[in-house]
Amino acid sequence: MKRRQLLTGLGAGGLGAAALSALNAGAAHAQTGDPIPIGAALPMSGPSAGDGIEFKNGLDLAAAEINAAGGILGRPVEIHIEDTREMGADLVGQAMQRLIDRYNTPAIVNGYNLGANMVELDVAADNDVIVLHNNTQIAHQERVKSDPERYYGGFQTDPAEYWYGPGCLNFLNELVDAGQWKPANRKIAIVASAVEYSIVIGNAIRDKAAEFGWEVSVYETVPFPTNQWGPVLAKLREDPPAAILVTHFLAQDLAQFMTQFLTQPTPSLIYMQYGPSLPVFREIGGEAINGVIYSTVIGGLPDAFAAKYREDYRANFGDTASWLTGSQTYDALWMYATAAAVAGGPGEPFNGEQARKVAGVLKGMVHRGMSGSFRFDPEGLVAYSYPTETKDPSLGLPHQFLQHQDYRTDPKLIGPQLYADSQFMLPPWLS
Amino acid sequence: MNTFYAVLVSGLTVGALYAIASIGLSLVWGALGVLNMAHGAMLTLGGYVAYGVITGLGLPVPLGIFASVAFGALAGGLIYVLIVRNVLRQAKADFEANVMIATVGAAIALENGILLVFGGQPLRQPVTVSGSFELGPLIVPWQNFIIMVAAVLAMAVIASLLNYTRMGRAIRATAQNRDAARLMGVAADRVYLIVLMLSGAVAGICGLLLSAMVQLSPSLGNDPMLKAFIMCVVAGLGSLPGAVLVSFGLALLEAWVQYQFGARWGFPLLLCAVVVVLIWRPSGLLGKTEVRRM
Repeated sequence: MKRRQLLTGLGAGGLGAAALSALNAGAAHAQTGDPIPIGAALPMSGPSAGDGIEFKNGLDLAAAEINAAGGILGRPVEIHIEDTREMGADLVGQAMQRLIDRYNTPAIVNGYNLGANMVELDVAADNDVIVLHNNTQIAHQERVKSDPERYYGGFQTDPAEYWYGPGCLNFLNELVDAGQWKPANRKIAIVASAVEYSIVIGNAIRDKAAEFGWEVSVYETVPFPTNQWGPVLAKLREDPPAAILVTHFLAQDLAQFMTQFLTQPTPSLIYMQYGPSLPVFREIGGEAINGVIYSTVIGGLPDAFAAKYREDYRANFGDTASWLTGSQTYDALWMYATAAAVAGGPGEPFNGEQARKVAGVLKGMVHRGMSGSFRFDPEGLVAYSYPTETKDPSLGLPHQFLQHQDYRTDPKLIGPQLYADSQFMLPPWLS
Repeated sequence: MNTFYAVLVSGLTVGALYAIASIGLSLVWGALGVLNMAHGAMLTLGGYVAYGVITGLGLPVPLGIFASVAFGALAGGLIYVLIVRNVLRQAKADFEANVMIATVGAAIALENGILLVFGGQPLRQPVTVSGSFELGPLIVPWQNFIIMVAAVLAMAVIASLLNYTRMGRAIRATAQNRDAARLMGVAADRVYLIVLMLSGAVAGICGLLLSAMVQLSPSLGNDPMLKAFIMCVVAGLGSLPGAVLVSFGLALLEAWVQYQFGARWGFPLLLCAVVVVLIWRPSGLLGKTEVRRM
């Protein structure tokens, strides 16, 4: 198979191990066999360590598979990790620069880093490297659009956090319309934490609430991180809303919320986002988490396509490892490897010409990964969200709604309908 | 009215945690006149030791509790042997500053050691009690109740030790004037060792209680260390009863502010309290003014 043929076929579907093997077999030049260093600036300690460890797992698994398929044009990939600890622009920027300076990484595949203020894009631009991250921020597309020529190499491999807002309200209304949930009133309470990501989601819900027929009775912002929920819960119990929407996302804090909430539960549906996908949420919360609904705009799907990935992930990293989270970096590395192979190689830092070729392939490709279909908005270089942003499931990552129905097992996917494998169940404190 | 009681329970629980964290810090400051910057890391150690013994080794819970106290005391002893004793031997060294800087290093080493051994992922402390009980209009989670009782017990034990034992008298004498105490036959070095071990033991139990309330992570002790420092400054550095009173007072105020004005205003309130107290009473609410003659 010729590279040109593959490029032509990109729009029709994703490229996987078979395609990469074909590219490797057909590559007539250059196979030096030297490893290609790939960097990852991950929160391996600090409050997001639970995610950081899964991001590393995802990278390790993808690297092993890519190398088994012949690497990138015959060169194996080699993962190098720098810890971003408590995150923030200073730590993330320094970690990325160290990766480039020490290992000469042509690409950096991060999970998410909080409070980085999109420093990833500047480091990538200054060094002519490709960066793929899951910061889940609308700020990414705004920065890229402000100077597309400079930020050509920065890709956000998941949709912006904004889509959590309308997506969540739409889901609540679907439950009501289907008769699966009868809300006690039309009030919702929003609990955000003092980080941009959480606040943007909280604001998106608040701004769209009336449009979807809901009234915001409480909007509370808690410190980040937080684990003492007493005063917030006291406020919620004063005027119980039909749904409590927590946009803070640290799994351990959310588990504490549930433990403390259940001492005196209100007749409210509990919706959270992202954090409950981590095993630590189940470990810390135990039975108290049964009934919690959460959503994520990116995460491994429990479908047949991802079955082998799930199996391999747990075989490699243990039964409690979160393949839902690890899929983020797993998919991102596969996308990069394929794009670099199609572009004729990864290049190296400060080789802007080659980096632009890789970026060009990424920009045009559609990749069916473990989390769904990746396609980047060509202007903002951010993955599309299905069904709120695009109605075409083959061109967007499903905004997944899951429910913990039994803390001893994986959460159940209850939306969107196209992907759901289970039905919503009323939480124990409501039934 | 239920809201009032809910905020009260929350404030008292947090106050108990602040108090028990402040006691250890205040004890060392009072006796040695130095700030043990490794106090937070010792607290983290206590939580992880209990986890390691109960979950890792599969030993009974009481043994895990005992181990967290014992390892806390051991860590305090090591700080004395490795840092305090050596700094004391250097006649020209600035004792307070050197101990403070050295304990920052010890804290970093301890935190990273925990990170290497247990990893960065948050872990569930196995010593937890679920459920709650009703006391009139109050609904008190058992976990909160146990934390409050344990904090009160720890305070009572420390107070008894200081007030009614020979060792307590030696500690108080050394705290008042190290040189005078030495001249009167008090083995100041041994007092320092005992104080650091005692402080470590309290940190160990505090770490256990705290991690039962939240979860284990290598940075577990950082926030309580900061809060304990705030309590000690507001109370007056080295004042044990002051630290306890201020811990409960400020925690209740913090809980009320969080409820009334929003959770995000709790910590700024504590910082404001420090600023106001430092301006109004530089030696703290219950601290004694230090007179230095030229």
